[in-house]
Amino acid sequence: MVNRMLESVRFFGSGAVAAGAAILVFALAAPAALHAQDGTVTGLVTDAASQRPVGSVQVYLEGTALGTLSRDNGRFIILNVPAGEYTIRAERIGFATAEAQITVGAGTTVQQDFAMSAQALGLDEIVVTGTAGAARRREVGNSISQLNIEEEVVGPPQNVDALLQARVPGMSVTQSSASSGGGAMIRLRGNVSMTQSNQPLIYVDGVRVRSEGFAKNVPPIGYSGRSNNDVSSPLNSISPQDIERVEVIKGAAATTLYGTEASAGVIQIFTKRGSVGQATWTGQINQGVARNLPFGPDPSIRPPSENPTSLSGGRSDFIFINPWLRGHKPGCDESFVVEGQPCDSGLFSDIGAHQQNYALSVGGGAETVRYFVSGSYESDDGVLANDHEGKLVLRGNFTFSPREDLQLQWNTSYTNDQLTHTAAGNNAHGLTLNTFRRDRNYLNDESFNAINPFLDQEITTQLDHLITGMTATYSPMANFTNRLSVGYDLAQQDNRNLRPFGFIRAPTGILATSRYEFNTLTFDYLGSVDVELPSGIRSALSFGGQSVTERVEVTTAYGDNFPGPGDPDVDNAGNTLGFEDRTRVVNAGLFAEGRLDFSNKYFVTVGVRVDGNSAFGADFGLQAYPKVSGSYIISDEDFWDENWGSMKLRAAWGQAGRAPGAFDAVRTFSAAGWGGVPAFLPANVGNAAIGPETTTELEAGFEASLVDDRLALDFTYFTQNTAEALFSVRQIPSLGFTSSQLANVGELANSGFELGLNYSVIRGQSWNLDLGGTLSLHDSEILDLGGAPEFSIGGFGWVIEGHPAPVIRADRVANPDAHADPIIVQDSTFGPNQPTTIAGMNITLGLPHAMTISARGEYQGGAWMSNGAQAAATRRSVKWAGCFEAYNTWETQGYAALTAEERARCDVAHYQSDFSIQPADFFKIRELSFQAPLPDSWAEMAQASRASVTFSGRNFFRWVDPRMRTLDPEVGGNVGYNTRVRRMLEHVPPPAFYTFSLQLVF
Amino acid sequence: MMNTTTKAARMRAADLIGKAALLPAALIALVSACDIDVVNPGRVQEEFLFELAAQEAIVAGIGRAMGEAQNWVGYTSAAISRELHPSGSTGSFGIQVEWQNGELDYETVNTHWNVSQRARWWGDDGVAKIMETGASEQALLAEAYLWTGYAYRLLGENFCLSVIDGEGAGDRSLYYDRAIARFDQAASLGSGDLAMAAVAGRASVKAFMGDWAGAVSDASGIPDGFTWHLPYWDTYGDATRNRIQFASQAEPYKAHTQRYTKYEDYAMSENNPDGDPRVPYRVTDETGDAAVQCCGQVPWWPQTKYPDAGADIPLSKGTEMRLIEAEAMLQSGDWQGALARINALRSGAGVDMAMASSAAEAWTALKRERGIELWLEGRRLGDFYRWNRDNTPGDRHPLEVPSGSQNEGSHLIQQDLCFPISRGEVDTNPNINGPTG
Repeated sequence: MVNRMLESVRFFGSGAVAAGAAILVFALAAPAALHAQDGTVTGLVTDAASQRPVGSVQVYLEGTALGTLSRDNGRFIILNVPAGEYTIRAERIGFATAEAQITVGAGTTVQQDFAMSAQALGLDEIVVTGTAGAARRREVGNSISQLNIEEEVVGPPQNVDALLQARVPGMSVTQSSASSGGGAMIRLRGNVSMTQSNQPLIYVDGVRVRSEGFAKNVPPIGYSGRSNNDVSSPLNSISPQDIERVEVIKGAAATTLYGTEASAGVIQIFTKRGSVGQATWTGQINQGVARNLPFGPDPSIRPPSENPTSLSGGRSDFIFINPWLRGHKPGCDESFVVEGQPCDSGLFSDIGAHQQNYALSVGGGAETVRYFVSGSYESDDGVLANDHEGKLVLRGNFTFSPREDLQLQWNTSYTNDQLTHTAAGNNAHGLTLNTFRRDRNYLNDESFNAINPFLDQEITTQLDHLITGMTATYSPMANFTNRLSVGYDLAQQDNRNLRPFGFIRAPTGILATSRYEFNTLTFDYLGSVDVELPSGIRSALSFGGQSVTERVEVTTAYGDNFPGPGDPDVDNAGNTLGFEDRTRVVNAGLFAEGRLDFSNKYFVTVGVRVDGNSAFGADFGLQAYPKVSGSYIISDEDFWDENWGSMKLRAAWGQAGRAPGAFDAVRTFSAAGWGGVPAFLPANVGNAAIGPETTTELEAGFEASLVDDRLALDFTYFTQNTAEALFSVRQIPSLGFTSSQLANVGELANSGFELGLNYSVIRGQSWNLDLGGTLSLHDSEILDLGGAPEFSIGGFGWVIEGHPAPVIRADRVANPDAHADPIIVQDSTFGPNQPTTIAGMNITLGLPHAMTISARGEYQGGAWMSNGAQAAATRRSVKWAGCFEAYNTWETQGYAALTAEERARCDVAHYQSDFSIQPADFFKIRELSFQAPLPDSWAEMAQASRASVTFSGRNFFRWVDPRMRTLDPEVGGNVGYNTRVRRMLEHVPPPAFYTFSLQLVF
Repeated sequence: MMNTTTKAARMRAADLIGKAALLPAALIALVSACDIDVVNPGRVQEEFLFELAAQEAIVAGIGRAMGEAQNWVGYTSAAISRELHPSGSTGSFGIQVEWQNGELDYETVNTHWNVSQRARWWGDDGVAKIMETGASEQALLAEAYLWTGYAYRLLGENFCLSVIDGEGAGDRSLYYDRAIARFDQAASLGSGDLAMAAVAGRASVKAFMGDWAGAVSDASGIPDGFTWHLPYWDTYGDATRNRIQFASQAEPYKAHTQRYTKYEDYAMSENNPDGDPRVPYRVTDETGDAAVQCCGQVPWWPQTKYPDAGADIPLSKGTEMRLIEAEAMLQSGDWQGALARINALRSGAGVDMAMASSAAEAWTALKRERGIELWLEGRRLGDFYRWNRDNTPGDRHPLEVPSGSQNEGSHLIQQDLCFPISRGEVDTNPNINGPTG
């Protein structure tokens, strides 16, 4: 821990830390400096409909520094209130704000209760993502999903990816392996690009942060898979405990003002800020385990030739890797234990990989200074033998209001993430591949003692991630606001990948160390003018500019042929090499937006953003992205009976883009070495006219709160068209340049609808029951290849006119059920690679004593993907676990009893990789949580004002299409989640998590 | 009243907008000042290649491109011709199932086609760039021509049809013609070993074309001990490693073996120390890294002609010239003379003399001898093709001809004798409409 703090000091610079510490001391001292007072305000906050107590409500005296949070039993108390008259307010997201006038006398106690009305549709809630400045929800014409953590998240998620899983209609969040700290692929409304990233942009408190994954830890030369083959996500640098809410906008109609790079959507995270009032301390301890569900066939279907007492014969349900899988090490009394194989090696190893997290935060402040400071530390074993993640997250959010017309907001977080990994994926030097391939692995030996030395490879990664942003908001007039923001996202990644001297597959050793620096510097100005026009029309004019500079720099040292054992540096090696890469991309744009408000129920917004980008071709120029949207609060019309509830109709049209890569515009040659002599090779054809691909989206829908605010509905239809799409135009090989060249030649479309629904079935004082669900259906299609030939984007994913984007294409067995040799149909299309149906279900049951049970499930269907692990094994005549059923038939009933599909898939005589294509439909229970407040007397024993416990399980139940006999549809390939085509390689699937959490509030 | 209010509101609005207009003006100035004209380091833009200082790297690049083409074509053609036998691996350095069976499908040869075409194109384009700038050294230009000539020879000997610069498919003889033109330039501009290599390369192309008089004329000037190598290195990545050797190493792949090849009993090994030293291999008690359909797990007996991944591959040798002379004699009916040439080589290698009592037997001896002398140099498949084309007498060894079954003989179901035009070329080149090979 001390080392981590020292690392922090090094990273920040001692001066910055000293300044921060001074501010923190000042902020913490501010409330304590208040004079002793002599009045008290107390009360009870309840839900007006159910009369259940409501916790975590911010209750404060307006215009003072006095306030507090209500406990889980709804009670609050504000001490030391000077005698006088006050406006007392109660606020919590999801409820309409309540206020009252009170008079406090010296030495008296005033009782003020609040009955707060839940707002299923908070039309006056403020949203900021996708709008120029803040806007009320009623004013926004596009769909926007808001996830309010306090309101909607019960269990403690292990990271932000898990927090987002199965929460938002149209969003899929897919972790690709069990590798510690691995990130997740996020898709909003599927793919909008066939060559560029489809990962949404990420903003944290208005600061643009890196949205692509960090770098894979792999040596720069040799096979690119000598790694754990997964990557971390910058999103997971944020501690889930620090988040107040998340806003998600999904398509170009909503993301126009973000311009180039925003067509895949935007996720904005808002972290907590201190509230006016005395310091509130929150501490949380999480303890849990991770363990895998079976991901192979049941051992009982093993063919007779398999020895059930061998390592392989025993545990096909974990494809034989269980000796190295925490939670599944064999017991010493199990029949298939072999000599040297570990068993019974400790509590957590027996039941799973130990997860622990400790978090502490404090928030509070006065009118002029508010603060939220937090720290958390987690130490998580991975399910694989070498895997571990230790993560420290520090945060300080400060709000200064030195004058009435000026507010300064400074938010900073620092994350130190230390990862160690097990070599996995498609990697001949890895544990997973050599285990899955049994005695036909790269050792020709499946025994524990033969495979175990693969753990000698050391794959360690350190991530230091600083996100800091300063925003100054200056309002010289009541209707004129200027906001200037500077954001800086700096991530340094230190990779070390060592196969030590004596390593089983590299006896003289190989070491690579890489230093990456990813930084994103953002300048953002926004001006807003509100003007009241004649006839009661209000207008809001906003304008501004933004520049984003993204820089990636990497230097790598590589060495091999070490003289002997020991802990080496690269310069100990017999051969040493150095590598360097630097890229910088600058995007700058201006934007303007005007909004007209007619009678507070009709709203029209028009806007435009104009961008220049350093990756655009020299002949391209600037790109303009226009937008227009409207909303209509139909429930504010006279004809609407207020008993019907409230409803907003909305429609939006807009554009956003994706830029090409840094080198796509220019014709280049790579500088390669040839025996120490410099050498040029043709690299990139170049395209001086290249520009961004532009996605145009039209969406329309409604949001409604009906049936006495019990039923909340959110429906959106959308249709997207990406024109001048950047397609990889394959070059004619005989013209010398063998790499594809990006060109704005294509066109693709996406359309579908999203439905979110929540119904309060029971609202009682002791019991309540909420049922909800989300459904998103979407289809994609390549409309035009622009004359370019159809092209592959890997993993059997193809871009073909008239087919989904991308479609899985491979040779298919035409007679799968026949007891005959396979008849092959070449180049057959199977279906899309991304799911076309995503359905989420959730249920929340409120029990007496404020206890809560909550569950969420998710179904994804319609996608196809290849099982590359199966293909690579069967083509090497490995007896693949996924074929046990077929081998059983073959051995007991003869070859003639095999179907054509089984012969194609399991008999190398008919082998083609194509026969590994499988449907990827699945259902998982993403979360089941039980939360209960502890009795006040228990909390008081710890000198806390309240305490609660939570038990949760995540991803502990899974159904998959039975044709996917091994692994898991969420398993990914060798590049982690940074992939355009999902495919499975030799990874252990993401595990289930079981967590106990204790939270104390002081 | 309404008018007054409205007017006041308008004036306030105008005042505000006036003030606000200053900000966007400043903003435009700010954004305009952003430098979005970025030149990133690393890759080299084309105009730099027209500088004199770039010429050495252009020529080295042409050589490197030729090395990569030789790597891919040489290895896969060795598997098809059974100069080596697959031992399991099908991945990065492995032998795909189709190649194990002797099939060169156009879907599976994209890389071979791409790297070979790149070597040819880059040779011609690089020479054009040097010519446009003016050659800094004549020797550099000669070297560029030489590597380009070998690139065309590689294509001519191994690919079924020619395609040049996006045009339609043509006869593979187009490659031979271009190879000879490049070798001519290299021979005239170069000197010493480089010029001799150009003449030797030209001899081999003429032999392939059936111009035996021309081939013998060129070959006669090359001494027995001459060798021109294509260099490889063991430290600079896969593209510049000797691919055949790297794939045969214990780590990581053990991808091929000499078990089940004609060299198994003939060559020099631990089991046969008196075998021919020109085709050495090592006997181990290990098996290949996976299994193959024919034989399960295959004993791993790796070649040792190339001792490490930095071993150079010969492109032209004096000994090949002697075999060209011998084959020319066979073509003219002088089988005794041919046998004498062959036995002169065998004597030099310290192995038993070849015996023949007829022209056909002499042809058999020659076919075997070329297999030994040019082993793992990427020449065998081309030899098979032209002997088949010319319907020459003599037999090949049973373990290098297809048995029609995965389970017997060579384990070759078929044996394609040339690489087709790749699917990538077919898909992208609108002028390719007919057969691919």
